[in-house]
Amino acid sequence: METLKDAFDFRDFSKTERIVFGLFTLFLLIFPWLGAGSFVKVVLIQFLLFSLFGMGWNTIGGYGGQVELGKAQYVGIGAYTVALMMVWWNIPFWVSMPMGVLIAIGYSFIIGYPLFRLKGHYFAIATICTSLVLQDVFINWKLVGAAKGIEIPIREQPDFLYMQFKSDTYYYYFIMIFFFVAILYMNGFRKSKLGYQLRMIKDDEEAAESLGIDARWCKIKAYSIASAFVAVGGGFLTVYNFYIDPYSVMDLDLSIKIALMAMLGGAGSLWGPIIGAAFLVPLDRFLGSWLGGHKGLVGLDFMIYSTLIMFVSAYQPRGIWGIIEQFRRKGA
Amino acid sequence: MIIIDAILQGILMGLLFALVALGLTIIFGVMDIVNFAHGEFLMIGMYSAYWTSLLLHIDPLVTLPASAVVGILLGLASYYFLVKYLLRGPMIAQLFGTFGLMLFLRYLAMFIWGTDYRIVQKGLLVGKSLSVGPFNLDWTKLSAAILSLLAFFLVYNLLHRTKLGKALRATALNKEAASYMGIKTDRMNALAWAIGGGTVGVAGGLLVNFWYVYPTIGLLFVMIAFASVALGGFGSIKGAFFAGVLIGIIEMLFPIFGHLIGSDFLGPHFKFTVVYFAYFIIVVLRPQGLFGWKH
Repeated sequence: METLKDAFDFRDFSKTERIVFGLFTLFLLIFPWLGAGSFVKVVLIQFLLFSLFGMGWNTIGGYGGQVELGKAQYVGIGAYTVALMMVWWNIPFWVSMPMGVLIAIGYSFIIGYPLFRLKGHYFAIATICTSLVLQDVFINWKLVGAAKGIEIPIREQPDFLYMQFKSDTYYYYFIMIFFFVAILYMNGFRKSKLGYQLRMIKDDEEAAESLGIDARWCKIKAYSIASAFVAVGGGFLTVYNFYIDPYSVMDLDLSIKIALMAMLGGAGSLWGPIIGAAFLVPLDRFLGSWLGGHKGLVGLDFMIYSTLIMFVSAYQPRGIWGIIEQFRRKGA
Repeated sequence: MIIIDAILQGILMGLLFALVALGLTIIFGVMDIVNFAHGEFLMIGMYSAYWTSLLLHIDPLVTLPASAVVGILLGLASYYFLVKYLLRGPMIAQLFGTFGLMLFLRYLAMFIWGTDYRIVQKGLLVGKSLSVGPFNLDWTKLSAAILSLLAFFLVYNLLHRTKLGKALRATALNKEAASYMGIKTDRMNALAWAIGGGTVGVAGGLLVNFWYVYPTIGLLFVMIAFASVALGGFGSIKGAFFAGVLIGIIEMLFPIFGHLIGSDFLGPHFKFTVVYFAYFIIVVLRPQGLFGWKH
């Protein structure tokens, strides 16, 4: 009960933050009636999805300070569970998605147990390796469609149980619900015991252990929470795209994007991943559609994107939220 | 017989892997930075060898100095324009910084040269092989292996026999103490990037004789290099050498092993998966690697 109250309690944020957040919520709610084109709607769905991913990453990467670059494997687990259950046994989304989350959590404990013996660079590279191994397995595993991927059979009638709709607006509202649940969860997580323990571990792991915190166990818990978040998004990705393959849901680029958005926005703060996604997803999409369409300009969008990454890493590693806080401190 | 052949091929390939890993381990040893763009340095080295040999109509083996120069310049530019600033930030910023560099170089290559697969087709050694008893060894691979050995020999002597190398090793051991002794650590860092870029550039120049070059080739090789460096111990040159060779052998033996036990699932398409998996097992069980002194 206490935690539930914590989740809905936004009082420790400043007044400006609460007003901005309120206006933003209002905007998200009424957005489909503003008459924006379908492209903008797709961008906004992507934004909500990546905010969800980023918030998940933020538990282990932001609050826990562990450089985790293998989140795509859990997107894949979530996506494949939903797709396979739907194709093989005709199981509805609302059953298979929680199953996917459970599998992701179970898998994350198995992987996380040896993984968190490692620190720093070793850990970062090892997370990439685990993700690549799983991707390679899925690329070559004929039972799950190998490199061709899986297609979801399209139903004639829109179906809530199987999450098949004709209009993007429905998908928009569903991912928005996930998004707000995630925000509430993260708001509670921030103030939970695990949240404080993780921040202590991030600052000084030895000091934390000397106070009786089991650092490794805390990290594993945060890692599985992150995996659960990401698996939800993966399940949504399946029903939204009707099609998945190992390259689209398990690629290293996806892992990097997830971590990058959280970091660019400001890792370790509630708003960080959302700001990062709000910044990078439209940039990514618009650059892709403007430049990607021209022949001879292949790759230019990613060059701009990567220049931005280098610039932020070199000058403000705490991201956009770090810049905002810097300004506020000067003003106060 | 097939196994001995695979081991021989594996050693040749492994020597090249070791050369790629050499630069990575030097950079890591000196300044604790993992260079994600290392595979892209290799790719640029491959392209520069390819284009110089194609445009100047000279043999690809003669273009090695060009690859080395391009690699050195690339390493220096990365250090002075990016890594110097990254060093002030936390580890996560350093990781993303070099990662950004990797993406930038990859898509720059795609922008300029497109996504075509290219390989050197003409050359003194291309397509010829040396027969030793029942074994056939490609001259391109053989010469790459010999030159890789030579490069290792030179770098090892540079680090252990010269004053410059001593200064570099001192910086790696303790940066502050080194700077008290009057060593310009900033320059040592730049030197590490120059050596790293140069060796991997040479590796690229050798590789393009028998391996297709395309803009996204870097990831595969950087992961192999990570695995070699982790297996040998981060920062250890000797370690990178033996681990590279070992990984070359594993990579060649694995498909044969799968073939012998008649399993389709352990086919050749998993040969690099095994390398990733090996990395994971190694760092979990023995994080300091085989010869590691840095932890």
